[in-house]
Amino acid sequence: MIGKPGLTLYGLFIVMALLAAAALLLGVAVSSILVLLLVYAALAYSINFITGMIGYVDFGHVLFMAIGSYVLATLVSYYGANPLLGVGLGALLGLVFALGIGLVILRFRGVYFAITTVVLVLAAYNIVLQFPQLGAGGEIIVNLKFQPLATYFTIWTIVLIEIVLTYYVNRSRIGFGIRAIKNNEDAASSIGVSPRTLKLTGYMLGGLFGGAGGAVYAWSISGVTAGPAFDFTFSLLMLAMIIIGGVGTSIGPLLGAVVVYIPSYFLLTTVAQAQPLIIGLLVIIMALFLPDGIVGLLRRSNEHLRLVLE
Amino acid sequence: MVAAELIVTDLAFGLMLGCVFSVVAHGLNIIWGVVKVVNIAHGEFIMLGAYGAYFLNLFAGLTPLETAPVDAAIGLLVGYAFYYAFLHRELRNTETITLQSEMVTLAATFGLSLFISNLAIILFTGNPVGVNYSPGTLQFGYLHVPIAALYVAILSVLIITGTWLFLERTLIGSTIRAYAQDVTATELVGANPAKVASLATALGFAVTMAGGALLTVWIPVGINPLMGALYAPISFVIVVLGGPGKMWGSLVGGLTLGVVIDVVQAFTTVEIAYAAAFLILIPVLVFRPEGLLKR
Amino acid sequence: MQAKPRRLATRTTAIIVIVIVALVVASSGGVYYYVNYVARPPCASATSGNMKVGFTISLTGTYNVEGGKSLAGIQAAASWINDNGGVTVNGKARNITLDYYDDQSSSTLVPQLYTKIITQDCAQFLLAPYSSALTGAAAPLAEQYNRVMLSHGGSSDTIWTHGYQNVFGVLSPASSYFKNAIDWLVANNHSGDKLAILHADDTFSTAASAAAANYAAGLHLDVVYNDKYSATTQDLSTQLLAAKAAGAEDLLGGGHFDDGLKIVHQLSSVGWTPKFISLLVAVTEPEFQQQLGGAANLVTGPSQWETIVTYSPATAQAANIPWYGPNETQFVNYYSKQSNAGSPTYHSGEAGAAVVVLADAIQTANSTDTTNVRQAISNMHIMTFFGQFKVDATGKQSGHSMVLVQWQSGGLVVVAPDAVASGTVKYPYTGS
Repeated sequence: MIGKPGLTLYGLFIVMALLAAAALLLGVAVSSILVLLLVYAALAYSINFITGMIGYVDFGHVLFMAIGSYVLATLVSYYGANPLLGVGLGALLGLVFALGIGLVILRFRGVYFAITTVVLVLAAYNIVLQFPQLGAGGEIIVNLKFQPLATYFTIWTIVLIEIVLTYYVNRSRIGFGIRAIKNNEDAASSIGVSPRTLKLTGYMLGGLFGGAGGAVYAWSISGVTAGPAFDFTFSLLMLAMIIIGGVGTSIGPLLGAVVVYIPSYFLLTTVAQAQPLIIGLLVIIMALFLPDGIVGLLRRSNEHLRLVLE
Repeated sequence: MVAAELIVTDLAFGLMLGCVFSVVAHGLNIIWGVVKVVNIAHGEFIMLGAYGAYFLNLFAGLTPLETAPVDAAIGLLVGYAFYYAFLHRELRNTETITLQSEMVTLAATFGLSLFISNLAIILFTGNPVGVNYSPGTLQFGYLHVPIAALYVAILSVLIITGTWLFLERTLIGSTIRAYAQDVTATELVGANPAKVASLATALGFAVTMAGGALLTVWIPVGINPLMGALYAPISFVIVVLGGPGKMWGSLVGGLTLGVVIDVVQAFTTVEIAYAAAFLILIPVLVFRPEGLLKR
Repeated sequence: MQAKPRRLATRTTAIIVIVIVALVVASSGGVYYYVNYVARPPCASATSGNMKVGFTISLTGTYNVEGGKSLAGIQAAASWINDNGGVTVNGKARNITLDYYDDQSSSTLVPQLYTKIITQDCAQFLLAPYSSALTGAAAPLAEQYNRVMLSHGGSSDTIWTHGYQNVFGVLSPASSYFKNAIDWLVANNHSGDKLAILHADDTFSTAASAAAANYAAGLHLDVVYNDKYSATTQDLSTQLLAAKAAGAEDLLGGGHFDDGLKIVHQLSSVGWTPKFISLLVAVTEPEFQQQLGGAANLVTGPSQWETIVTYSPATAQAANIPWYGPNETQFVNYYSKQSNAGSPTYHSGEAGAAVVVLADAIQTANSTDTTNVRQAISNMHIMTFFGQFKVDATGKQSGHSMVLVQWQSGGLVVVAPDAVASGTVKYPYTGS
């Protein structure tokens, strides 16, 4: 670890504390909104590991979300398991799949990697449709007693772990190596960084937390259906969140989740399409003019902020 | 036991479908090959081409065959606009696309894809529509071939051949090919890289939108704002199979995909056929990343 | 690669971006807070004024046709009830108010919207969305927040296998959809016909088609082809060809509205003319015939209800069952007052019936409490313009009967069962 923890980490802890308090004090109506915010944040942090930090654009990240959702749904629905077990196993399976897939596809560069992730999602969707045990085209219902706080604090804990992990990775020697890869992968290997290991680690972390987030998502909506589970909209939203917030940063994913989700909740019942439209526009502007997102912009605009924001 | 007639019929359908897939992917191939940019919003332009066919059919009674040239003309304009909006800055002073610019264009075109598809939902509503064009079927023994699919397949091959001729036999085309090989050298012999790149992009979009119009023949009720989500990955796989920049690659990739999807269905289920078609990408990328074509 | 020069000064851009983002987030938060905590205290209307019935409906997206018809049916029924004494609880008559949002045919939006409807809009009772898939996504919320939910557009039998206590269906379950068609084939000397079943892979179509396959096999009909396709598959030619190659003469299946169109379109392009076709959902919509023209002629389809059926207070009296709600003429009349309604189809009828049944249950229970109302629904056996209503122990509908309809010379005719038919099935299908 390079240096003592900075203001960013403490600031994020304060935000998380506020989110916890909100759920406990403001009632079910508020916590039902915030739980989805936390799910989005968890997914944003998970894609941040592979896309934000390492620079490999994972359009197919929804695959891990789907894995987590299916694991939780089948465990709870067929075996009556505790949903927390579902979350744990969902995360584990996400990790395992990421390892297996990553070993094959992480050797593809840039665009080829991105396309392959897309293809994998489509293939996985079609394969899942074959199995009636996985609901085929229908849904697997998770019939549990309503436990809003349990769900909420599970995802809250996951996000907290991700924040700490992201922060420490960025501050550590691993982070140094990761940034080297993002800049120029070939040069990085010549100075002693091992791209293979780091890329795989990043992808596996993405799979781990993507699976965890997906499992909690299935828990919160009481089920999983094939079509929506593999819907690219999630991947695209996750990408949008980190692009808007700031790729690779510790604050970025959470900030991006807030910017993407909160207005969308409000717009949901008025002009529901305005939200993805605005997000698309924001992403275009960010990509062309502000590739390091809001956090990057703030850091570049002011010396003090540059030292404080990560 | 699978009847031979079924396999032959599926093969015939697969080839015709494959031709349309080829032209749909061809625009992406041109842009990727020349300007080295992958347009994530490719599917959305296919969708716009399809809606073009729908509206021209609705208001002017045009068939998809007649709409294709109109869509192509629109595509040219759109392509120029796209180039100057997105690519000009990145390409102006560079020799090739770097990883940073690659990420920028991936991210920007991804944002564009979100924007266009949702704008389409607002403008056209999410309701699926279709174009009614059924000039009948031809019968060869037990084989019933829909005439619409045949026309569209022929037109697709003509378009691909046409672009090949343009690139091989005209001066402008040669300049584009030179640009694809080496930008600086092209500049040295007096060509304006911006003009070349913008023309190539415009050409790519023209072909894409024409392809979208021709595609409507195969999707009688499937024109909807989100259809790009299916046809973009199909296009990507096709271009990688054939090799980006190789004009005939689109045909090779498209036919392969069409045949795999339709013939595999004779033996297993539709879903496995699609999964197989998509997963072909991985061994190709591992063992022969430059594509299936030799040169 | 060196960094590109920025067009605007970084600080200015930063300030602009921050201000915009802050404005967007703050205004959303501010409006939300105002609307929910200042302008209207949460759920105060629970014990006064109107009866709020909340639901989502598919006004856009794949189910927009069926969703639009359902919404108009709901509005028609609610208007009639409000004009005829409202819903009386404890001596006080209350009007029904409808609280609904467009779910865009997306099951991802359904849970969020229902959460909002229940926790913020304070709906006391719920209707399910259109389609079994979306109903499946909405039902858990009825259980979580303990509200009665009536399903009008979700018929898949699986909905009632999860032990839900608050979810009840007004429509006949999916497993009964093809019964009339198969019965007709057997009764009219066509049990030698070879059947092909091709259906969409969503839960409703799968349930209906699987039940059809079992029922047909049980009656010794030969099912030579049975397959499904996923929602994204646009091209069914290879599957239709495979069915034809297997020797099939009749075709059952489909999915929702678009699926019916897809199948009939592609039948002509692959050159197969089955002798008998029965397709889910699509056939009963006037648009089916408008878009397909001659090819729609003689296609049959199962229907939950048609405007010409003969349920009336007199029939109810003869059968010794209580009657409630508008009769056919009144319902059609109120329906025509809704904007963009077109003509009522069975989707309109089933949705309207849900409102009618709910109102009667609340009055019978004389309470707005969930436990009392669901008890009333479980014990009810009544007749409405839509037919009989009686649920089994799981909440699935058991009293309602379906009909079979067929397009003949540009008009929809009820052809089975004999008791309510106004015409007979014309066989075979000719494709024009």
